[in-house]
Amino acid sequence: MTDTAHLPSAVEADSTPDGDKHSPMKRALIYALLTAVSFIMLYPLLWMVSSSFKPENEIFATTSLIPQEFTLDAYRRGWNGLSVSFGHMFLNSLLISVLVVVGNLISCSMAAYAFTRLQFKGRGFWFALMLGTLMMPQHAVLIPQYLMFLKFGWVNTIMPLVVPKFFAIDAFFIFLMVQFFRGIPRELDEAAIMDGAGPLRIFLKVILPLSTPVMATAAVFSFIWTWDDFFAPLIYLNDIEKYTAQLGLRTFVDATAQSDWGALLAMSTLTVLPIFILFLLFQRLLIEGIATTGMKR
Amino acid sequence: MSIADASNSKPPLSVRLRGQLGGYGFLLPWLLGFVVLTLGPAVSSFYLSLTDFGLMGSAKWIGAENYVRIASDDPRFWTAMKVTFTFVLLSVPLKLVFALAIAVALNKGLRGLTIFRAIFYLPSLIGGSVAIAVLWRQVFSGDGVLNQVLSALFGYEGPSWISNPSTSLYTLVLLAAWQFGSSMIIFLAGLRQIPTDMYEAASIDGASRRRQFIKITLPLLTPVIFFNAVILTIDAFKAFTSAFVVSDGSGGPIDSTLFYTLYLYQEAFTNFRFGYASALAWVLVVIIAFFTALSFMSAKYWVHYDD
Repeated sequence: MTDTAHLPSAVEADSTPDGDKHSPMKRALIYALLTAVSFIMLYPLLWMVSSSFKPENEIFATTSLIPQEFTLDAYRRGWNGLSVSFGHMFLNSLLISVLVVVGNLISCSMAAYAFTRLQFKGRGFWFALMLGTLMMPQHAVLIPQYLMFLKFGWVNTIMPLVVPKFFAIDAFFIFLMVQFFRGIPRELDEAAIMDGAGPLRIFLKVILPLSTPVMATAAVFSFIWTWDDFFAPLIYLNDIEKYTAQLGLRTFVDATAQSDWGALLAMSTLTVLPIFILFLLFQRLLIEGIATTGMKR
Repeated sequence: MSIADASNSKPPLSVRLRGQLGGYGFLLPWLLGFVVLTLGPAVSSFYLSLTDFGLMGSAKWIGAENYVRIASDDPRFWTAMKVTFTFVLLSVPLKLVFALAIAVALNKGLRGLTIFRAIFYLPSLIGGSVAIAVLWRQVFSGDGVLNQVLSALFGYEGPSWISNPSTSLYTLVLLAAWQFGSSMIIFLAGLRQIPTDMYEAASIDGASRRRQFIKITLPLLTPVIFFNAVILTIDAFKAFTSAFVVSDGSGGPIDSTLFYTLYLYQEAFTNFRFGYASALAWVLVVIIAFFTALSFMSAKYWVHYDD
């Protein structure tokens, strides 16, 4: 599908032969430029974090990134700033995200296994349709889906956010896993068939144990995108007790009427924190995932 | 060992049947999801787009009337189109240029590449979240960080960029451009694919670095540029969260950030005009499909594929 497929080793190489010919001056210049751009790009984020630890009157008094007076006051105000605490909404987000991870891993790996390893009539046809859904904007199915879930009585529950993921609705992850499964040597399947293993046993005992990298990539991306998702919770969750952290934060913007920036920035920092931690832990996996499929954020 | 014995002829029927069942067994969750959650709703939303249908009562068939109204009697639709196209046409090229420039700079064999790459990627990962939209709202507000910096450095007292209808959309373009990191990673992977002996041969022939970039790097990178452009364009048409948060869901000030998806959301879930919103959704699908097809057709004129 893309020319950038299967490049993990290329991505990780830390230097290229192209690099040796630059003079030290030019090198220093490139470093200086990259550092300046990095600083400008990170400045808003650093400012957000540092402001969340400043007293309210200091936030707008100075552009300094180091708080003169360090306080957790903004976090205290923010945490209980709505009628339901942010802790509760974080748990809602966590529950939804974990269930989505489980659903995606199970259903997408099954589909990818069928597409790469099993022979059956119509395989090519279904595979083409699956690729087609990758490109299709969700808006085309949004309203009937909503009406269907409304009929099921699922609106204002987490069901519409979670159940579809158990039916491999995120074709992106099927695609990611297909790319990976194709790289697993077929001789391993054939050896297992010789030993009398059926498709299920090959899937569980041969393919899955060799697929931890792709499963981890899919898990981390699933978690982050679900944690970050705003549109689906906005449509499906109405009561504040059901809110995710993202919905809570957006409601908090209204509630504070922009008068308590400290609390707002503190809660913003907290909602980004889980993603930032996953980013630090799994940076390589995420970057390889993007380079191999060439998709999404 | 019966399977091995039969390996020189077709496998016995029971094995083939088992294969078919196994295949469809594993495909079942996806297949069910496809039929119930994608195919069915897609057909049904097309039907709804031909009806007058709200929260109460049943769908009333009105033929193409929704589409006629979109084209001829809906100023907000045209506003949304203008806002969305401005956003797409500005944010996609900006992202591509930043991503390519930084990727080329990072591909010089510098130490610390992984750190820079991580720093530039971070905004792409978190940029779609509500927190960043909230932050953006602060940064570009009247007493926000940008104006603080402008005032400290140049003594310039800036306006509120967010609440000024002539600048609000551009703050969102900047927010999108800030997230060039994932395209940059794809460019980096593409740059690594270019054989180094091509550059060596060019240097021997006395080609300057700039000439090498124009004659070797750019042409060989066109498939990746093409791919990034298509993906970014589709994503830009679908942008939603930042506009929603920055404008409190209104698309304001005076509809200056009324992204197409935001207008669609308002029609469907604020005004509960499900029929009309379905028609809007299909117009968006057609627009995206049209631009994707157009890019693929243009590809043969500028995208360089290996012979």
